[in-house]
Amino acid sequence: MDYTVSLVGNPNVGKTSLYNRITHSLEHVGNWHGVTVAEVSKKIMFDHNTIDIVDLPGLYSLSVYSPEEGISRDRILAKSSDLIVNICEVNNLARNLYLTLQLLELDVPVVLVINMMDELRKQGKVLNYRNIERVLKIPIVPMSAKYHSDVHLLMDVSVDYIKTHGANTVRLEYLDKLPLDDVISIIGANAAQAGLSPRWAAIKVLENDAFVLGKLNLDKAQSSALAAMGDLQARVAQVRYEFIDKITEGAITRSVSSEHHEMHEHTAHNVPLESHGENAGEIAEIPHDKHVRHHDRHKAGERLQMLGVSKLDGIVLNKYLALPIFLAVMALIFVITFGLVGNFFTWLLELGIDKLIYNPLTGWLNSINCPDWIVGLLGDGIIQGVGGILVFLPQIVLLFFFLALLEDSGYISRVAFMTDGIFRKIGLSGRSAFTMLMGFGCSATAVLTARGLEDEKMRKKTVLLTPFLSCSARLPVYSTIAGAFFAGGSPFIIFGMYLLGAAVALLLAALFEKCVKPLKSGKLSFIMEMPPYRFPTAERVLQIIWNNAKVFLIRVGTTIFALNVIVWLLSNFSFTAGYTVGKDARSILEVISGFIAPVFRPFGFGNWKAVTSLLSGLVAKEVVISSIESLGGVEAIFMGAHPSLSALTFMVFTLLYVPCVATLVAIKKEAGLKWMFFSLILQIGVAYLVSLAFYGIGLLVLLNPGVTVGVLIVAFVVAVCIAVLISKIKGKGSCPYCTGGCKTCDRKKDGKDR
Amino acid sequence: MTLLDAKVNTRYKVSGVSGEGNARRRLLDMGFTPDCTLYIAAVAPMGGTVLVGLRGFMVALREDAASLIEIEVA
Repeated sequence: MDYTVSLVGNPNVGKTSLYNRITHSLEHVGNWHGVTVAEVSKKIMFDHNTIDIVDLPGLYSLSVYSPEEGISRDRILAKSSDLIVNICEVNNLARNLYLTLQLLELDVPVVLVINMMDELRKQGKVLNYRNIERVLKIPIVPMSAKYHSDVHLLMDVSVDYIKTHGANTVRLEYLDKLPLDDVISIIGANAAQAGLSPRWAAIKVLENDAFVLGKLNLDKAQSSALAAMGDLQARVAQVRYEFIDKITEGAITRSVSSEHHEMHEHTAHNVPLESHGENAGEIAEIPHDKHVRHHDRHKAGERLQMLGVSKLDGIVLNKYLALPIFLAVMALIFVITFGLVGNFFTWLLELGIDKLIYNPLTGWLNSINCPDWIVGLLGDGIIQGVGGILVFLPQIVLLFFFLALLEDSGYISRVAFMTDGIFRKIGLSGRSAFTMLMGFGCSATAVLTARGLEDEKMRKKTVLLTPFLSCSARLPVYSTIAGAFFAGGSPFIIFGMYLLGAAVALLLAALFEKCVKPLKSGKLSFIMEMPPYRFPTAERVLQIIWNNAKVFLIRVGTTIFALNVIVWLLSNFSFTAGYTVGKDARSILEVISGFIAPVFRPFGFGNWKAVTSLLSGLVAKEVVISSIESLGGVEAIFMGAHPSLSALTFMVFTLLYVPCVATLVAIKKEAGLKWMFFSLILQIGVAYLVSLAFYGIGLLVLLNPGVTVGVLIVAFVVAVCIAVLISKIKGKGSCPYCTGGCKTCDRKKDGKDR
Repeated sequence: MTLLDAKVNTRYKVSGVSGEGNARRRLLDMGFTPDCTLYIAAVAPMGGTVLVGLRGFMVALREDAASLIEIEVA
């Protein structure tokens, strides 16, 4: 038989982890909300059945908020799945079951997975889900999808349930507290016409659900009859939560001893569902000497934990410590990745390629009298160029190792929270912060994650800004150039490049918000669930590293390799004279790039080699540096009066100009052709202007250090003073509903929106 | 008072949720229902956004959403 099984649940409960387990896929997972922004599906064979497993974006309720939730809602409402596997998280059972109740109200077949049992076990607690199973009349499978979990049991239960389940007999008693019959008497006919179950439509009408109200198409008399019933929206949520509190009361208890919960785990996983309920029955709490003594001390902490609050956040999100801790963490990551550790491995690889491949190969080719151009192509074009990129594999691995740790531990969500003050002012939300942080990995894939952003203008803005954050492909460029010109301080220079990219993105966001109307998103609402701190698992970290290292190696082997061959050939052959080395002829690229070269003369790298590398970088940014390597190295390019300043400016330009063609394609996909061209012009324009300013200021500092630094400091102090003054004057009329800047405030004194 | 007036590291009880439409329903769906206990875990360094713990999870709310949640001292 062919079945379709959809995975549904709140955001960040581990749907994709479970999906990866079931289908043996490597879809990206992360400890934050909204990693999955589109439907993903894969067919598997199970017990002679073909089962199409569909992973859906997370949602809190069937009344949706963002476009990605809409994808899930539509899929659920269409009732096109044979089964919905509803995944809940054990730490957060109440809010997760809220969605479960809505699925049951809709009368779709549901199997409930209670995930993250490992976290409960670590707290020394057990879950007695028997009562929940009995009341809701659906099979429950406890699980730890992050670790090796018995997916087989889940699939067994699921297939069995699809085959055997009959009509839903569950009586959701809380619905009796709502005047559903009265509502049905008003809207019943419309619901039938719209093809909706009258009872379900009635619940949604009480919830004031715009989607269902739109489908019902009620007339004036009906609407006023409904309005006369009063506002029951809060009541619906309240009775659901009261019901959940009732059925989950006492479900989570402290385990008596480790033997007990080992046994419990054992039974929960191995005994078939129909019978395991008895074994997983209530375990009475036996007072323990040690336990009692610690009890009081633990009590306050435990009560906080019941509310979902982690004590660690008292420090990490402390008003004064939060930003210093963040900067210290970032600095540490950069020092390790681009300093001693990363550099050592890179040096090792470089040495290996040189001594084991380059030297023997060129030596052998020369000894058999191979033509010069073949030696050049293989040696300088391919091995030096491609090898020059390959040696950055260790740094890329380290960077993604740290990104994975930040992401999986839940720290990235804290970063989004503490920087929200800035983002709020420039019309972005915490979700756009995620997209931009993903931009440190790969611009093109980050742009695609913007799809989940609720506000269209904000989405466009985020898509336009993400390319300015320094992706991992730009890393070899900085590392090589900074290593050549500023050996000791290269980690800090590279850190500076990342900061500059972020600063440019934020400044542009502020500018767009003020001056570009189609991008002005105004004050945005922002409700983001904060994931708990989790210990990253080696498996997931390795998976993230492997996924990215694989992409990098494939790029090195295909795009970068091919491009390097082309660049080398075009830069060593002329239109007429063939191989140019040793001849007085200009190569093809020398002629073409020579046209553009004068544009870069103000920066001290107005030569055809620099232009060639920048042009080839349009395909993949790593090629910027592999081209430089095969064209004679950095020394051959930055030869002006101030080579190190030119080199720095070159890094700035590389940071800011078009990341790659793939990113442009992604922008076109998310924002349309018009915005892609806008973004292209923006990137080149910003790169040129910032480079110009950078080189100019740098030149002033070099020529007249004392005076310039003084002038810059004075200018900075004056700017800060003016900014403070303006905010003081603006803040004067501040109302009690906002923290300042009241002239732009959207609220009146009575708290209602204007 | 509303969540905007809440102090860090303090416990409160929800007395109601004002507002309308999507914003209000999202808060209700999230579990901000009357009598629910809240804990203010942090306020963002630049203000305007609060981190609230309730029902076993934490959620960050900007001032627009926070101003809709009416609270009283628990």
